Amino acid sequence: MSTQMRVVIATVLSLIVFIGYDYLFMPKIAPQAADNNKTAMSAPQTAAQTETAPPSVAPAVSQEPQKPKAAPVRGDTFDRVISTVETTNMTMEFDALGRISQVYLKDRQYRDEAGEELKLFNTPKIPKPLEVRFSDPRLNDLAFKTPYSVSLSSVTVDGEPKTITFTQDLEGFVVEKVVTIYPDHHYDFVVRLSEPKPFYVSPGYRPDLRIDAYTVHGAMVEEADGTLTIIEDGDAKGTESFRKARIAVAFDRYYATAFYDFESGIDVVVNKDAEENPVLFVSGESGRTMHGYIGPKEHKILMAIHPELTKIIEFGWFTFIAAPMFKVLLWLHTYIPNWGWTIVALTFLIRLILYPLTYKGMVSMHRLKELAPKIKEIQAKYKGDPQKMNAHMMELYKKHKANPLGGCLPMLLQIPVFFAIYRVLLNAIELKGAEWILWIDDLSVMDPYYVLPILMGASMWAHQMVTPSNFTDPMQEKIFKWLPVVFTFFFVTFPAGLVLYWLTNNIFSIAQQLLINRMLEKNKKAE
Amino acid sequence: MNMIRTLLSGFLKLYQKFFTLLGYGSCRYYPTCSEYAKWQLETNPSLLRALLSSAIRILRCNQLFDGGIDYPKVSIRPSGIRHRHHGCQKVRYWFVPDRGNGKWNVIKNTFSKGHS
Repeated sequence: MSTQMRVVIATVLSLIVFIGYDYLFMPKIAPQAADNNKTAMSAPQTAAQTETAPPSVAPAVSQEPQKPKAAPVRGDTFDRVISTVETTNMTMEFDALGRISQVYLKDRQYRDEAGEELKLFNTPKIPKPLEVRFSDPRLNDLAFKTPYSVSLSSVTVDGEPKTITFTQDLEGFVVEKVVTIYPDHHYDFVVRLSEPKPFYVSPGYRPDLRIDAYTVHGAMVEEADGTLTIIEDGDAKGTESFRKARIAVAFDRYYATAFYDFESGIDVVVNKDAEENPVLFVSGESGRTMHGYIGPKEHKILMAIHPELTKIIEFGWFTFIAAPMFKVLLWLHTYIPNWGWTIVALTFLIRLILYPLTYKGMVSMHRLKELAPKIKEIQAKYKGDPQKMNAHMMELYKKHKANPLGGCLPMLLQIPVFFAIYRVLLNAIELKGAEWILWIDDLSVMDPYYVLPILMGASMWAHQMVTPSNFTDPMQEKIFKWLPVVFTFFFVTFPAGLVLYWLTNNIFSIAQQLLINRMLEKNKKAE
Repeated sequence: MNMIRTLLSGFLKLYQKFFTLLGYGSCRYYPTCSEYAKWQLETNPSLLRALLSSAIRILRCNQLFDGGIDYPKVSIRPSGIRHRHHGCQKVRYWFVPDRGNGKWNVIKNTFSKGHS
């Protein structure tokens, strides 16, 4: 096997380890452009159908839940806006079926390049948030053909929460939906029926603003015992139900729509649509107040509503380490306004925590030079037998308490930390569009000018230069020398924040090594 | 069970070939942590214990410990290693009794390539 070949294999293998999981096990969803096309195609159709009588044919069979209730005729027939709610940070539109048909985010960080407000829903998918479905097919059919009347057609929420009542008269059977909207993206709702009938309410199809192959999107249920069950888009297997769940959330990379109840729990049913994407329904109870959230998965907002609600910020299978890491980052960020410097500070903090270990290593280095003649002796004696040589070297280090090697644990600890930062950068909306300095204006995407990866490669090379190494295998030595180049290419597509972390880490390593080298030098002179 | 051992051993070999370069020359022990895990996997009758001792070994591999020579120790029944076959057999591991605690030090036969 040639050296180049090995380098290539090494690169491929490292790719598998670092991000392979995500690529292999995450469904590849077409980029948003494709979704937009779909919208454009189906929009006129929808409009045409709205003009004419509600069609009783061409039902959207695929998107209906299979078990809890029969098919509605059409979900998107009554899409005219009957009520508009303005809060300080969003605009919410309700359609004629008393459903949330659109949400516009007002905050500056949620606007696109042109300064336009972002819309959470860009494809006409059903169910929409607050969509009610009855188990009785006749009633359900009727409910999807009868528009609601509304108590207020325009509401402004500033400070105090405001309540809107939607009423539907289904041949004497009255459905009343009372929605109380708070200024912080959450709302309460009660559905009252004139006589008890089994029904379901949906928190809606997930927002479709940020769909990509790198991050998880779909639905998640926090069960009664705190277990998080994630059903990714394309992975929904049919009907699954969860009794007394705490949260039912449908989400994309940054935005979510959820129902939650941390006291008495909600009964959740997960269905699948034609694309095997999960669709959430919550079993309804006439007169019961339920809670909902719709908006960005921003830690500060969720924390203010209910600390438990922060669980909807999800970092994939590495959450257990990424979530604490994210908390530390948020804490550092309260002191450092710039996210780039926050990452640098985090790197420094990790180094600081590991410092007692490093210091011990440095102290033992002092004794190393006294051993120089003995080391030479061993090297000469076991020249042809690297195994034996290593064994004797290690024993010599131990005897004189002068082991110059860092150890496997500190090295392996880097891996989860690296992963965690990677996930945080991808999933945390706080880091979307986070600036550092000069050309880096978004730490969550790759460096557009390749400067950081190149600097990172250079720092890696510099670190190799200052670190003494002795290879017994010339082939390994060659691969080792090529690693900085391999890593530069490997880091090119990574989020700039991650490259920044690794670069900073390398610089700290170099500084530390130089310090050690200088100490050794001084000792030599003192002799 | 054996498949798991072979698979894990294979991963370790892969690691030793390529990934070890990322943290080149880190290990404070002889044999190195990956080599230790390999020997454990190949000799320890209990897979769970093999994994556990390997994990503990990695945890011990930091600047708070002195490092040095540290062979895997396994508990095996003496009958398991008694020489039954006469004739030539390649020695892969030497089992050296530990200080009277019924355990055995495992030493891979890398020093002499001869037959037993």
